[in-house]
Amino acid sequence: MSGITLEGVEKRYPGGVLAVKGVDIDIESGEFVTLVGPSGCGKTTTLRTIAGFEQPTDGTVSIADEVVTDLPPYERDTGMVFQDFALFPHMTIHDNVAYGMEADGGYLDEEIDARVAEMLELVELPGMGDRTPDQLSGGQQQRVALARALAPKPQALLLDEPLASLDKKLREQMQVELRRIQQEVGITTVFVTHNQEEALTMSDRIAVMNDGRFEQVGPPGEVYDDPETRFVADFLGTANIFDGTVESVADGVATVECGDTTLRARNVGSVGAGDSASVVIRPERFDLEAASTDGGTTATASEGANVFEGTITFRRHLGSSIEYHLETLAGRELVVVRRSGHDERTAGDRVSVRVGVDDCRIVEA
Amino acid sequence: MAAETPPSEADADDPGSGSETVNSGRAGLKANAKWYVVSYPLFWLGLIFLVPLAMLFAFSFYVNIPGGRYEMGLTLENYARFLTSELYLGQLWLTIEIALVTAAISLLLGYPIAYYLARMERAWLRSLLLITIISSLWVTYVIRAYAWQVILASGGLLSSVGVSVGLLSEPQAFYPGYWGLIVGMVYVFLPFMILTLYSSIRNIDGELLEASKNLGAGPVRTFRRVTLPLSKNGIMSGSALVFILALGSYVLPRLLGSSAERTLPVLIEQQIMSEANYPFGAAMSIGLIVVVVAFLWVMVRFTNLTTGSLGGSETATPDGESPSSAAQSTGVGGRLRSGFGSLAAAVGLTRAVAGVGSAVNAAVTVVNAETRERVLSIASRAYAAAVMVFIAAPLAIIIAVSFTPEQFLTFPPGGFSMQWYVEFFTDPDWVLALLNSLGIAGAVAVLSTTIGGSLAFALDRFDYRWGTIFGTFGVLPILVPPVIVGVAFLVFFLELGLAGSRLSIIVAHGIFYAPFPFILISQGLREIDRTYEEAAMNLGASPGRTIRTITYPLLRANVVSGALFAFILSLNEYIIAWLLSLFLVDTIPIQIFNSLRYGYTPTIAAASVVFIVLTVVVMSSIDRMSGGIWE
Repeated sequence: MSGITLEGVEKRYPGGVLAVKGVDIDIESGEFVTLVGPSGCGKTTTLRTIAGFEQPTDGTVSIADEVVTDLPPYERDTGMVFQDFALFPHMTIHDNVAYGMEADGGYLDEEIDARVAEMLELVELPGMGDRTPDQLSGGQQQRVALARALAPKPQALLLDEPLASLDKKLREQMQVELRRIQQEVGITTVFVTHNQEEALTMSDRIAVMNDGRFEQVGPPGEVYDDPETRFVADFLGTANIFDGTVESVADGVATVECGDTTLRARNVGSVGAGDSASVVIRPERFDLEAASTDGGTTATASEGANVFEGTITFRRHLGSSIEYHLETLAGRELVVVRRSGHDERTAGDRVSVRVGVDDCRIVEA
Repeated sequence: MAAETPPSEADADDPGSGSETVNSGRAGLKANAKWYVVSYPLFWLGLIFLVPLAMLFAFSFYVNIPGGRYEMGLTLENYARFLTSELYLGQLWLTIEIALVTAAISLLLGYPIAYYLARMERAWLRSLLLITIISSLWVTYVIRAYAWQVILASGGLLSSVGVSVGLLSEPQAFYPGYWGLIVGMVYVFLPFMILTLYSSIRNIDGELLEASKNLGAGPVRTFRRVTLPLSKNGIMSGSALVFILALGSYVLPRLLGSSAERTLPVLIEQQIMSEANYPFGAAMSIGLIVVVVAFLWVMVRFTNLTTGSLGGSETATPDGESPSSAAQSTGVGGRLRSGFGSLAAAVGLTRAVAGVGSAVNAAVTVVNAETRERVLSIASRAYAAAVMVFIAAPLAIIIAVSFTPEQFLTFPPGGFSMQWYVEFFTDPDWVLALLNSLGIAGAVAVLSTTIGGSLAFALDRFDYRWGTIFGTFGVLPILVPPVIVGVAFLVFFLELGLAGSRLSIIVAHGIFYAPFPFILISQGLREIDRTYEEAAMNLGASPGRTIRTITYPLLRANVVSGALFAFILSLNEYIIAWLLSLFLVDTIPIQIFNSLRYGYTPTIAAASVVFIVLTVVVMSSIDRMSGGIWE
């Protein structure tokens, strides 16, 4: 059984703006999928289309194998957590959580009370039912919003940037909490965020959105390590990206001419000689050593690796790791991340960095 | 990056075209519901309001037959009579002049106090002062004009005080006359000016002023370069509001002006009620509408131009007025001379304080900044106190007078007695008038709230091709001078045979005051976070349930305030009710007005106090419920 299926969903606004340009995804029951992308990429519109607040101009939406494209929001079985939580200010916490079951009409009062207590227990706010939303902290409101969305036992949980209004510490805490509750309940979940770190840490699968379509869909590790497009590489995490032209392809290794730098990269795609392409190198893939004395060329490809020489211009401590900014001899900037406490360098040091050909990913420019 | 496939254009449909039958995406209501919802307010505001106005227009071309009858026709005779008569044109100009002078003086008096209130730090004092200003705003013009009669009459407060301190050798009447009228007009319309300026000044971010001071600008420069330009819109709309209200005012010129100050609304009422010359009254009404429309058009069209000229006339009017009015009528010189005397007596205190304040301010610019700030703050406090006295004292005097044990109005009252209240509550005429007033106002509250509320809801939830025009319908009635609304509905209800009934007054008031609930409820709907409704629907609540459990509770304060506003306004309205009463229906304002013709029995004061108390109670409940709607 599938949780949520989108087929060719397209949304055009009355003014003619095409916010979603035909997206397809099949989300398994119980799966946690994150839609991530810059603001205006159509991720929230996609989520609202699933909830029924937006009517797609084309395509179909199914929830739990039932086509719901033409159903109004209140006839769809989804629970949504809004960005600013939207807790009803004129009702107590109890009444907020009970609202969905009361609207359903199929519950006895005792059942509702028991369920509300159970949900408040689940989000670790037992006994808070008599308070009003303005008496709660941001994190508590967030939990109540989650309890309210889950109380009527929906088929799918929809989260619209629910962590955006929390401070960093609380946000990280809630990331873990949210994932724990989602797994405990086992509910199909679609999570929308513009925060790539949130996407990477919480999801079973990530759908990276850009300009109204999915650029890449896959598990976090795969999308991070094997970006299929330049956009994905750039958007998720930090990447050193070299744009250039493929010179030759041999034994699955492409040689790419990037202006003053020539790089070799594992070619898993279908680029051929003469194509434009970009080489993506994640900062933590580099090895860092003292520069060889002869200075040498800009970048050399030897023994299945690319080697750069340059000077450290800037260094910053990230806690468990250190980020170095290098200026290569060819004048390019390179970002390198190394574990801290291990062969540390300082700004001004001449260094040589090398990265294996297999750690260089080639994408269509 | 992959090439973008051009999206299919075929199914891009305008949701406003009505071809979509699915949920509108906002409240999830069916698209065809939008016409049901809007038909109700359009019935009242489009049909029932515009038909009488159209009839009024038609009537202005009818032929009058002396003796109160008229004949359908197409003559320009009425307009010719209006536009060729020295008398009527002179009075038309006088009407405009009085409105302009009122607006200018209100602006001069109102700006400092609005500024003072907006920058006041003690919240409780500010609410107290605002409540005082606002409460006086809703008390019927009839009572407030009456209060000034008590003050300005020969043997009234001002002349008694003048005699006793030796300024006057014998009791003197300061009314009826031009300046007595101006004082009354300013008194009545100043609160509108203050409130408009107040909200505009209050909206100025305090950090801007701090930034200005941080950049080295002193208080005067900060005011001139930051505060004043940013409150320009408030100045504009406050002046426009006061001008339009003053232009259409009937009660004040009638009760405080002499026969020379018969403004257009007074002349219109006379033509209708005394001469029964409906066609000529209609023609003059159209003339007044033309003035209002022309003024509004100028305001909208040349906003930037008038800003400058208005800012200039602000200081120029008191001086620049003499040449323009000297050209108009012969008695101007005398009027100005005697006028300045009485004006000085009336607002002299305020002026003196302000003058002393600014002189002191100029003198201390050489003194250190701290002293200057203190002097400024003392001067502005004294000024604020003077204006507050000007606003609050007349009603306080009425209250004092109502407890007099004597048979005639005297001031100060020589004792304490409740006899006039007993008289009020035992006189069947007064009691009937009170019951009429309350009954009409209650029905008006329901009618105007349903009209204004349904229109606000429709415009908020649906897209209409003519949405802007519908929105204009929502505020249009209040822009039409009440005397014209009264005459138009009189003509309309005479045709229907319903004139002289409570029903006719209820319908006219219900439409005339619908803009208040409309504006309040529109504002409330705009402020409701749409995601509350989305959250409710996401939790399975149908649109009806969502409105019942989420939208309405969040909107309740606005709905109830709107209803109470309509109630209180209807309760206090005179001219529309008077025209439509055809001498058959009495309300409290009508009863007070009629009683004033026969002298100042203190029962009038008692009736006024009962009414003021009623008004203050309702206003306070609006304020409490909405949690400070004036902010």
